[in-house]
Amino acid sequence: MKSENGFYGQYGGSYIPEILYSSQQQILQAFEEAKNDPEFLAELNKQWQQFSGRPTPLTFCENLTNHFGGAQIYLKREDLNHSGAHKMNNVIGQGLLVKRMGKKRVIAETGAGQHGIATALVAARLGLECTIYMGAKDIERQYPNVFWMKQLGATVVPVTTGAQTLRDALDEALRDWSSSHEESHYLIGTSCGCAPFPEMVAFFQSVIGNEVREQSVAQFGQFPDRLYACVGGGSNACGLFLPFLEDENVEMVGVEAGGKGLELGEHSIRLSHNLGQPGIAQGFATMFLQDDAGQLQETHSIAAGLDYVGVSPIIAHLAETGRVQMTYAMDDEVIEACTLLLKKEGIIPALESSHALAGAFKDAPNLPKESRIVINLSGRGDKDIFNVAKAVEDETFPQFLNDYLASYPTFPADNSHANKEQNA
Amino acid sequence: MSQLATFIDKKRQKKPILAMTHVVYGYPSVQESLDWMARLMEEGVDFIEVQFPFSDPVADGPSIVAACHRALEQKLDVDTCLSQLGKLAKDFPESRIVLMSYLNPMYRFGLEKLAKRAAEENILGLILPDLPIEQSATYRTACEANNIDPVWLVTPATPKDRLTMLAGQASGFLYCVARSGVTGHSSHEGKSHERKSHEEKDQTNQLDDYLAEINSHANAPIGVGFGLRERSQIEQLTGKADIAILGSALLDAYNEGGQEAGIELIKMLFTK
Ligand SMILES: Cc1ncc(COP(=O)(O)O)c(C=O)c1O
Repeated sequence: MKSENGFYGQYGGSYIPEILYSSQQQILQAFEEAKNDPEFLAELNKQWQQFSGRPTPLTFCENLTNHFGGAQIYLKREDLNHSGAHKMNNVIGQGLLVKRMGKKRVIAETGAGQHGIATALVAARLGLECTIYMGAKDIERQYPNVFWMKQLGATVVPVTTGAQTLRDALDEALRDWSSSHEESHYLIGTSCGCAPFPEMVAFFQSVIGNEVREQSVAQFGQFPDRLYACVGGGSNACGLFLPFLEDENVEMVGVEAGGKGLELGEHSIRLSHNLGQPGIAQGFATMFLQDDAGQLQETHSIAAGLDYVGVSPIIAHLAETGRVQMTYAMDDEVIEACTLLLKKEGIIPALESSHALAGAFKDAPNLPKESRIVINLSGRGDKDIFNVAKAVEDETFPQFLNDYLASYPTFPADNSHANKEQNA
Repeated sequence: MSQLATFIDKKRQKKPILAMTHVVYGYPSVQESLDWMARLMEEGVDFIEVQFPFSDPVADGPSIVAACHRALEQKLDVDTCLSQLGKLAKDFPESRIVLMSYLNPMYRFGLEKLAKRAAEENILGLILPDLPIEQSATYRTACEANNIDPVWLVTPATPKDRLTMLAGQASGFLYCVARSGVTGHSSHEGKSHERKSHEEKDQTNQLDDYLAEINSHANAPIGVGFGLRERSQIEQLTGKADIAILGSALLDAYNEGGQEAGIELIKMLFTK
């Protein structure tokens, strides 16, 4: 979706410290040129295909469809991307842009670690130095991803300011960029941030919707009636929705994280239910969860990837104009939807994506039998093994962890210290 | 000429370089921060730059970030802050107060109301580092209407034509960021090859060239900040800038040894 000078209605824009002005202009120009350069697009398609395994399938879910007895349910299988999430589409695109701009280093923020891993994978492949900022609390919650980032050669920096989660990681990435802008690119993981990031990330993610356009026509002779996507920063939703924006018969539903409840701090609902307020922070204008004094607030979701205080200005605008309907799913509904998909279709969804499932499952029984809905399965759930085990109260999991720990070799203290230094 | 620029010009007749010292409002408590401001003005600093804390201060380094987060453990109110600063401004007519914050808390308060209330309390300048001049029409009009100055920033990375534009638009004073990065000692220092690949002498020359370039276009006095903590830095600026802005270094001193350590630092840096 084309912006007006970086704005989507009243959202978006570029509100960055002056020190970043020229780097931001450089990205603006490089992206403008790249997206019109057939050679760049050919390389992008090649990498999407050969590195990430695109196109991803559109999977009909017969059992779920029969289970609900309403709409015919299809899943867009972004979980089958390399790295296990749609994050790869964007990272490949920006990685190629970094090469084009001649920069040597990338900086990224990550919450769950999905974007961090995707960035580390591409940095390794493109020979770029890579620094990942991650909240110290998220590092505790998502250590397996941190482990892989380090193994891939990335430096993972724990962020200990504020609430020590994604929002703080994003602030810290911006601070790094302020000192390193000459040789570093800030590889943002979602369609947020200053212009042109929202537009650029949405552009790279639009491969999702573009494939669905072709696949739906090939598989059932028409476009879907309704699309569902979870909305964290908003990139997988932009990716699925934007290519259908002009097709007025295609309805779109974005699902936010309802978390544990509707009290401030318990959820990450920025758009539905009027819980967010317009604000300007982290480089752009959007709906933020904030108090009446304009201080950004803590958020919660069982899915770390949806646990963010702001939202894409593109989605904020489309929600305001009514083109996209916004709803939310609570943590327990999400676990239920996840479990149902496992049992009925043999697919392990990410908890983020399970929000889209939960939103769609609520509507499915009430939709006509001949209608077709496409749910964006933005990622696979292997990463959520610890959280899901806890949520379904698996009894053997703690035993497994204990046994594993008991058999884990201990390393000399100085050795593990050296390892830490190198990666800190 | 603006009230702020007039004040600076007048003071500069007597002093080779003016001191602007930074204080985080509400750190470690509202009362302690107000006491600290009063003490600074008692000691004769020409300006205090008061930062109204924001949860996500992206242009600041670790010292100021930590102070802002600490301050926000209590509920802070813009209007109350302005009234308290207004009282200080009255008590210390030989000094001036400028208010610095980020856009969001000020936007929530209302930019027009901010300009009006600041003017009422004799806060003559406002600094919002995440509001680019391109998006500032309403804010600028409000400042103009209330006869206070929106202070703009330029940096060593600002392209020449933009620097000329910003310097031309300067009112009150132009805030020249001395180097890439955030305020204070940054955990990211050393990554910029600007600083890595040049020798110190080169850096000195670069800063001189940068200030000369700004001076040739600036319609207002010049303040320099970010990373100042040595006497030699202040000496280097004397004659090339009107105001030296002391931020994190002062906060670090205050954290180490309270008001006395802070005052000692200021004396070490500014006393002839
Ligand atoms: C699998 C998955 N889905 C969705 C998201 C949310 O991001 P976005 O809203 O940008 O698609 C994430 C973020 O980490 C994710 O990992």
